[in-house]
Amino acid sequence: MQKIKNFFIKQQPLFVVLIALMLSLVAIGLLLVATNRNPFAALYYFLRGSFGNLYNTADTLTRMIPLAIAGVAFLIGAQSGVFNVGIEGQLLLGAMASAIVGYIVKLPAVIHLPLMLLAGCLAGGLYALIAAWLKAYRGINEILSTIMLNYPAFFFTHFLVLRVIKNEGIVPATPFIQKTAELPILIANTKLHAGLIIVVLVSIATYWFLQKTTLGYEMRAVGKNKEAARYHGIPVEKRMVLSFFLSGAVAGLAGAVEIAGMHHHFLDQFSPGYGYDAITVAMVALLNPFGVLISGTLFGGLKTGIMDMSVYAQIPRQLATLINGIVVLFIAGKSMIESSYVRIFKGREHVFETGKEKKQ
Amino acid sequence: MNWLETFKTVFSLALIYATLRGSVSIVFAGMGEMINERAGVLNIGIEGIMLMGALAAALGSYFSGSPWIGLLMAAIVGIVIGLIFAFIAITLKSVQAIAGLAIFLLAAGLSGFILQVIFQHGGNTPTVPTLPMVRSEFLESIPIIGPIFNNQSILLFPALLLPVLIWFFLYRTPWGTWLRAAGENPQALAVVGINPITVRYLATLAGAMLHGIGGAYLSISQTSLFSENMVAGRGFIALAAVIFGNAKPRPVFFACLFFAFMDALQISLQTAVPENIIPREIFMALPYILTLLLLAGFIKRTGGPADIGNPYNREAR
Repeated sequence: MQKIKNFFIKQQPLFVVLIALMLSLVAIGLLLVATNRNPFAALYYFLRGSFGNLYNTADTLTRMIPLAIAGVAFLIGAQSGVFNVGIEGQLLLGAMASAIVGYIVKLPAVIHLPLMLLAGCLAGGLYALIAAWLKAYRGINEILSTIMLNYPAFFFTHFLVLRVIKNEGIVPATPFIQKTAELPILIANTKLHAGLIIVVLVSIATYWFLQKTTLGYEMRAVGKNKEAARYHGIPVEKRMVLSFFLSGAVAGLAGAVEIAGMHHHFLDQFSPGYGYDAITVAMVALLNPFGVLISGTLFGGLKTGIMDMSVYAQIPRQLATLINGIVVLFIAGKSMIESSYVRIFKGREHVFETGKEKKQ
Repeated sequence: MNWLETFKTVFSLALIYATLRGSVSIVFAGMGEMINERAGVLNIGIEGIMLMGALAAALGSYFSGSPWIGLLMAAIVGIVIGLIFAFIAITLKSVQAIAGLAIFLLAAGLSGFILQVIFQHGGNTPTVPTLPMVRSEFLESIPIIGPIFNNQSILLFPALLLPVLIWFFLYRTPWGTWLRAAGENPQALAVVGINPITVRYLATLAGAMLHGIGGAYLSISQTSLFSENMVAGRGFIALAAVIFGNAKPRPVFFACLFFAFMDALQISLQTAVPENIIPREIFMALPYILTLLLLAGFIKRTGGPADIGNPYNREAR
C-alpha cells in the first residue's frame, strides 16, 4: 500500500495534469450536453476521425509535427523563465524564409534541405531577439511584446505573398519549392513526411541541451530563480536572450518543416494558430521535450478528429480552439487539484505545502 | 499623386473625429486594466474579456432588440469572466500571466463556438440594433468642436469622463486608498483590518466589467455586428497604454488616445495613399510596430504598483 502511495506522490505532477485533462474533458462534455449535442458520439467520432484507420492516424501524426516542434519552442523559453507567446509570428517568418530559400536556391538535396531548414531557424530566432532585448534590457513583459510581434509578422508574410513573390493561382501563395528541398513522404498515399524524424531529433537534442550541458543548466537556473542564478555568477540577461533565440529558432524550424514536408510552398495563412496551440501542448507535456510528442499527438488528433466530429456529430469546428482554452484554464488552476491530491496521498498536514509561492 | 493634397486629406478634423471614435473601447479597457493593476493584479486576458463582451452585447442586442440590454449583458459577462480569472489568479494563486493567457485562449475559442452554435455558421452575427449616436444641429454648428463631437457614440462621453471619476476614486476616497494599498503593500492593508483578497477581487471584477463594456462598444456602436476576432489586439494595446502611463489615470488616458490616433492615422493613410506606392499591409502593421518602438524607447519606468503580479499570501511576511 505504501509503495502505491509513494508512486502516486512521486508522480504527482503527471497525475495532476492527467486529472486536469479529465476535468477539461468533463467540462467540454457538459458544454456539449448544454448545446444539445451528444458528448459520447463526439468522443466516438473524435477517436474514429483521428486514429480510426491508417490514413487518419498518419494525418494525426502529420499534424503532430508542427505542434510538437512549436511545443518544444515554447518549453525552451518557459524552462528559462521566458514566456514566448510569439511562436506564431516566428513560425510564419521561419516558414517564409525557408519557402524563399527552397524556391530560389538550386542545390543538391543533401545541402538544399538543411540550408532551407536553417533559414527557417535563423528567421525565427532573429525575430525572437526583438522581444528578448525588450525583456532583458528594457524590462518589457515578454507576453505583451511577443503577442504584439505576431501581428507585423503576419502582415509581412501576407504582403510578400500578395505582392512580391506571388504564384499564379486562386489561393495567395509563393511558388513551389524545388524538389531538392522537399522532405520525403514516409508512408505512401498519406501525407506523413520525414518531419516526424526531425521532431524526434529536436526532442532528443533539446533534452540533451537543457539537462546535460552547462548552458542548459544555467538557463534552467535562471528560470527557477533569477536572483539565485545571478548570485551564482550566471549572466541572467544573456541566458534569457539565448533562450529566446533558441525558442524562436525552433519555432522557425516548425514553420520550415511545414513548408518542406506538408505544403511545399508558403500558403497565405497556412497556420491554424499552431503558435498558440503550442502553449497548450507544452503545458500539458509539463514542459518536457519528450512529453510534447504525446501531447502533440493528442492535439494533432483533435485537429483531424474535429472534421468527423463536425460532419457526423454537428460539433462546431471552433471546439478545437475552445478545448485549448479550457485545458490551459484547468492547468493554470491546478493548485486546486494539487491540494486535494496531496490530501489524499500524503495526508492532511501536508496540504499547506502546495500553492504557497515564494515572494520575489 | 499630389503630396500636399494627400497630407490635407489625412490630417483633417475627420482624423480627430476618427481618433475619438476609435478611442472609446481602448479607454474603457485601459481604465479597467489600470484599476486591476493598481490593486496588484496583472490581467493579460483583457483581449479575451473584450471579445466575450463584444459577443454578449451583440447577442443581447439581437435577441432583445434593445442595445442597452446588450450593454448590460456585456458588463455581466465581463464580470463573470473576471470572476473566473480572479479565482485562478487570486484564490488559487496561479501565475497571473498564465491565468490571463488562459482567459485569452478560452475567449477566442468560446466566442467562435457560441457563434456557431447559435447561428449555425461562423464568421459574424447578423446586424444588430446599435446604441444611439449623439447628434444635434446646435453642436454641428459650432466650428471645430462640431465636426469632432457631433455624431459620436453615446458611449464616448462616459469614456471621456471615466478617467476623472477613477482619479477621484483612487486618490480622494478611502476605498481608493485601500485599492492602491492592495497593490503596493497588501500586508500593511491586512494589518489595518481590510482583507486584501476582497479588495483585489472587487478591483478585478470592476476592471473586467469595463473590459466587457469596451468590447461591447465595438459590436453595438462602432459597428453593428460581432465578428470573430473583432477585438484585433486592442486589448493588448490597452495593456501597453497602462504600461506607458505607469498605471496613473491621466497618462494612461492620453496613452489610450495616442494609440487610437495611430490607428485612425493608419486607416486614413490606407485610403489616402494609393496601394501601388505604399501597400496596405505596411500601414496595418504600423500601430503594433510603433507600440513596440515606444515600449523600447521608454527607458525610465518609475513605477506601477510595487506588489503587482504577486499572489497575496496570508502566511508570507
